[in-house]
Amino acid sequence: MSTSTHDADNHEHGDAGAPAGDKPEGGGELYGVLAEFDSPGALVKGARKVKDAGYADFDCYSPFPVHGIDDAMGIKRTILPVVVFGAGITGTGLGLLMQWWMNSYDWPWNVGGKPTWSIPANIPIAYETTILLSVLTTFFGMWIFNKLPQVWHPFFRLDRFTKASDDGFLLGIEAKDKRFDLDRTTELLKKAGATAVEPCYHDPDPAKKQMPKWIYAFIAATTVMAMIPLALILKARASKSTQPHWHVIADMDFQPKFKSDNAFAAFPDGRANRGEIAGTVSTCSPGSPRPCDHDRHVKSDTAMYQGIEGGEWITGLPRSVEPTAQRLARGKERYDIFCAPCHGFDGKGAGIVPARVQKLGGAWAARDLTDVGAGVVTMPNGQLFNTISNGFATMMGYSSQIPVDDRWSIVLYVRALQRSQNATLDDVPADQRGALR
Amino acid sequence: MSAGHKTIHPDEKVKAGNFGSQLAKIALPLGLAAIAAAFLLGPSHTGYRHFQLGYLTAWMFVWSIACGSLFFVMIHHLARARWSTVLRRVAENIALTFPLLGVVGFLGIVLPMLAGNHDLYYWDYAHTQSHEWQHVDHHLAGKLGWLSSGFFAGRFVLYMAIYSFLAYWFAKTSKAQDESGDPKLSEKMRIAAGPGILVFALTTVFVGFDLMMSLAPKWYSTIYSVNLFGGAMIATYAFLAIFTRAVQRTGRIVHSVTVEHYHDLGKLLFGFIFFWAYTAFSQFMLIWYADIPEEVVFYNYRMFGGGDGLSGWANWSIALLLCQWAIPYVLLLSRWTKRILPILMAISVWALVWHWVDLYWNIMPNAAWGVDLETGRNTGPLTGLLEANQPQYVWHSVLIWLGMVGVFLGFVGTRMKGNLLPVKDPMLGPSLAFENY
Amino acid sequence: MSAAEATDTHGHGHGEAEAARQKFSSITRDIAWVAEMPKPPKIWYGLLGVSLLLLGMLVVAVTHLVTTGIGVWGNNNAQGWAWDITNFVFWIGIGHAGTLISAVLYLFRQNWRTSIARSSEAMTIFAVMCAGIFPIIHTGRPWLAWWMIPHPNDMQMWPQFRSPLMWDVFAISTYATTSLLFWYMGMVPDLATFRDRSKSKIKQVIYGIFALGWRGSARQWHRYERAYLILAALSTPLVVSVHSVVSFDFATSQLPGWHTTIFPPYFVAGAIFSGFAMVMTLLVPARYLFNLKHIITDDHIEAMCKITLATGTMVGCAYAIEFFIAWYSGNEFEQFTFINRMLGPYWWAYFIMVSCNLLFPQLFWMRKFRTNPWLIVGVCILVNIGMWFERFVIIVTSLSRAFVPSGWHYFSPTKWDIMTLVGSFGLFFTLFLLFFRYLPVIAMSEVKMVAPEAHAGKDDH
Repeated sequence: MSTSTHDADNHEHGDAGAPAGDKPEGGGELYGVLAEFDSPGALVKGARKVKDAGYADFDCYSPFPVHGIDDAMGIKRTILPVVVFGAGITGTGLGLLMQWWMNSYDWPWNVGGKPTWSIPANIPIAYETTILLSVLTTFFGMWIFNKLPQVWHPFFRLDRFTKASDDGFLLGIEAKDKRFDLDRTTELLKKAGATAVEPCYHDPDPAKKQMPKWIYAFIAATTVMAMIPLALILKARASKSTQPHWHVIADMDFQPKFKSDNAFAAFPDGRANRGEIAGTVSTCSPGSPRPCDHDRHVKSDTAMYQGIEGGEWITGLPRSVEPTAQRLARGKERYDIFCAPCHGFDGKGAGIVPARVQKLGGAWAARDLTDVGAGVVTMPNGQLFNTISNGFATMMGYSSQIPVDDRWSIVLYVRALQRSQNATLDDVPADQRGALR
Repeated sequence: MSAGHKTIHPDEKVKAGNFGSQLAKIALPLGLAAIAAAFLLGPSHTGYRHFQLGYLTAWMFVWSIACGSLFFVMIHHLARARWSTVLRRVAENIALTFPLLGVVGFLGIVLPMLAGNHDLYYWDYAHTQSHEWQHVDHHLAGKLGWLSSGFFAGRFVLYMAIYSFLAYWFAKTSKAQDESGDPKLSEKMRIAAGPGILVFALTTVFVGFDLMMSLAPKWYSTIYSVNLFGGAMIATYAFLAIFTRAVQRTGRIVHSVTVEHYHDLGKLLFGFIFFWAYTAFSQFMLIWYADIPEEVVFYNYRMFGGGDGLSGWANWSIALLLCQWAIPYVLLLSRWTKRILPILMAISVWALVWHWVDLYWNIMPNAAWGVDLETGRNTGPLTGLLEANQPQYVWHSVLIWLGMVGVFLGFVGTRMKGNLLPVKDPMLGPSLAFENY
Repeated sequence: MSAAEATDTHGHGHGEAEAARQKFSSITRDIAWVAEMPKPPKIWYGLLGVSLLLLGMLVVAVTHLVTTGIGVWGNNNAQGWAWDITNFVFWIGIGHAGTLISAVLYLFRQNWRTSIARSSEAMTIFAVMCAGIFPIIHTGRPWLAWWMIPHPNDMQMWPQFRSPLMWDVFAISTYATTSLLFWYMGMVPDLATFRDRSKSKIKQVIYGIFALGWRGSARQWHRYERAYLILAALSTPLVVSVHSVVSFDFATSQLPGWHTTIFPPYFVAGAIFSGFAMVMTLLVPARYLFNLKHIITDDHIEAMCKITLATGTMVGCAYAIEFFIAWYSGNEFEQFTFINRMLGPYWWAYFIMVSCNLLFPQLFWMRKFRTNPWLIVGVCILVNIGMWFERFVIIVTSLSRAFVPSGWHYFSPTKWDIMTLVGSFGLFFTLFLLFFRYLPVIAMSEVKMVAPEAHAGKDDH
């Protein structure tokens, strides 16, 4: 056995059996030697001998993990488990942090009044992120610690080496080991039980002494190409465009339908809107306890619903609207919600919306409700009601948002505002005028 | 995954000798004395209820270990396990305490009920009331037939008979193999283990439902006994580790049970800590999330009931989460903590203590039930009425627990006879040579 | 092991070493043959053809669904989800056996797993792919599925993490990722074998890239084994969590029949049960077809039968305990639900479920039934049917008879429902057949490692 230091099938490097130390013809620099053992047990024994002889840069190659080889070679336990433990803890922390930040801090999600941050409901996801991060760390940690992927290696040049993935038990010693000497190392391996020992040389072409360049190029190209969509998205998010969105899938964004007040030639009046059909009966019977202000069809009390009586704007109040302090308070509340954003709390037209417009360089201001010259002060109550209901110029109508009764409350409050903003000394009760001075 | 095979070390002491009788002589009187002291010194103003609940907690604790040991034996056969062969005889002997445990349980839990003391189970009290009164709780009325002292006593005897039969059969067959060395007996036990585990599982499910879950008779949870079983297995592996180590300290079986076996006990302890936490979390999560009043009362009381300090169940709940699960779980993650015996022993003692706390946490809150004599309705956690500052007599329960452990050790001592290893089991060789890799 | 005296290894059992090497190379050859044979058996083509046909049906059904709307299914007001979610739970369950075999049995040192682990893992991945289809298409707008991924968006909103359906998203995607990496990592040494055996340059390059340059060095193996163990230890709690989370979809609700605390472990047991049945349905014929009977041995099949029996009986016990607790609860709704399950309009589904899941697996008590391939496949197919119906029974009977009788409604599937289910089998089988032809179907390195010959040439302890 000991004579066959190279196998017959070693044709690619037919001169591998040349006296140790000689370079093969056209061969490159010596990388190391590769020895073959005939069983897992022999490999363990051989590895122990090599280690005991003081070698450090050597490794064993086998088709499956050989029991006991770690001890024989003196392989230290990997720190991978510790790294994974750290990753697991990080995963838990990140999982909890993500949920807290997204559901409780950045956008508090109110679901039925339940607390936005309730740990039991957040455990399942934290659990999964723990495992996910641990798994990714284990997998890629194994790659990194094992220096994978590394599709190039000098031993791949030897045919014998393919046995390492089939039925061979190999031991390779690298030439860079300080104890390495081709003759003595070969002799040691033979003594340690190797059935064959073979030197391994680098490819004479220095360009082939490393991973093929095209692999790096491929990795780089793939990475760059993978970045392109991300870059496009980032660009789209950071830049402005006057073009409408791309509708890759239209969903219900474009429906074959008419919106209010569109034109439509097929109807005789040319409008898409269809009014009430003649004879429509209200579901809201007269005398029902609640006012039928949601019903646009019944407007028998025109003063109440349109602010008109006998074809004229009313100047007083509808019969069912009592000017009470309570109503005034209600009017103030509604005004502050619906009107103040534009007209301002004092009615002078300096709300936050015009302020914003002016900040952006616009010139628009809401109408001053209290200025006698602007016309609102002298406007009849009915017309004021109508403006609130149906809008005026750029102001939209609020009939869909403010119930009729509340609109009249607002009218009342606007009147109070006008009076207070244009008050003279005469408006103050005589006995309190002294306090103003 | 060693395919090795070993024979018993020539110097090995495999006979129990006087170990068992010594243990029984010391532990039994001390245990009985402690229980008697607890009975005499316990709080008197609540009748015997605290004593009975403490007794039930203590009994469930020793039941856990015996029940888990029986499972250990059967799953060993069913899975054709090798590594655990050296530990099997000890487990068999522990399971053999069942008839005695049954007597102790019957005396303390069932007999008072039959003798007319209705303090322990609320349903038992309900039986003493009028038919109309019972129907105030119609949820309860429907199952008073199942939950009645006579039927309960009968079931209790049946459960203990099943456990005892299984324990006896497996121990007897195993010991017969010590004599004959017949490998067919292993096969016979393996075949019997399948149906055996099925019967065992159903019995254990109903032990949990009857003895513990029915303390709050209107509350129900299908996973309850699975969780209890998880806790029982924690106690079993912890106890097996400690007890085997104690036996080894007397110079017996020192060569046979090695650190490899303790390592595996540690792994299984770790596994069942996870299992316990998993089932406990499943039960909690589903009840907490659905928030159905009659179910959530269980956790409501344990999260918000009681008072401050030791009386506050919230403190117990958090302590249980940290100490029964988080701390031992993290400690046992590492390979080294399972292989350094003093550390493993410390974790095992810790796990046993917290298993008792787990049982206490399940059982003792039910002490808070009372009956409003005017309306006939019950109060306390059964109906979601949280009684603040329900006093707890932890020292009293601990005393009963220690006493019960003493009695149990005494029983175990009486069973420790003959060989401490299944000396002629064909799987003993692989078990002796067992190595974790 | 004492190395000192072993100066002459050549004298030590050389014949034994030679036999061991032959054993290893025969393992390599026999397993690689499945992928290397110039032409697969004719029946492989036949099966692939049928599978592709079914896959086409899936494509048609899903296209019709997406372009038309969810109305093509039989869902109604009472059953907002029915068939689709049943399929989802069914497929996820099938996947679980793969992880159980590859991870849990690994941790329990059950060496018989090595011959079946690889194909079970592949099955897991394909089953998870099938499962993933259903929640995505049942929204009706599958192109918006990415909304579930937490990312900054124009809507300025984040997903609702306290919803069990979001837990599902995380559980299933973690599971898919883990299964894929675990599968791939286990395959790396075998891909290296394929690389070394390949004759054509293209195959060498492709297998070579995916083998990452694996050399089988002891230092690599050391870290590889640690990583494999850790992945197994992580997959075990993961697989438990996945089906538990799936069960939370139901059990966190208040619907009788859904809300019961046993659900998480009961779902996990059922998943393993159905998964093992599926592994056997696939592998029992495959070992004949590809001549792998000496690697996937009768003992392995028997062990799987036993696990099927054990989990089936566990599931049966859970049925019984559910009934007991429904009675014990004293809650009329619970009691009605369970009586309705057995005797109501879906009595036939309940009957299928109990007979297939509880009764037929009991045949495996008898050795005769654990060794006859036809009977095994027959029982396993029945178990798969039964487990599908278990999910159907749980989901549909509970929804069809909820609290208010005015909301009661009977669910019947439409042809599109059925086509989607049957079509998903097409996807599953197509992928599985391709896997069986082109990838290492059995973990060669693991089979070699657990072979007794792996200890050849060693001193006795």
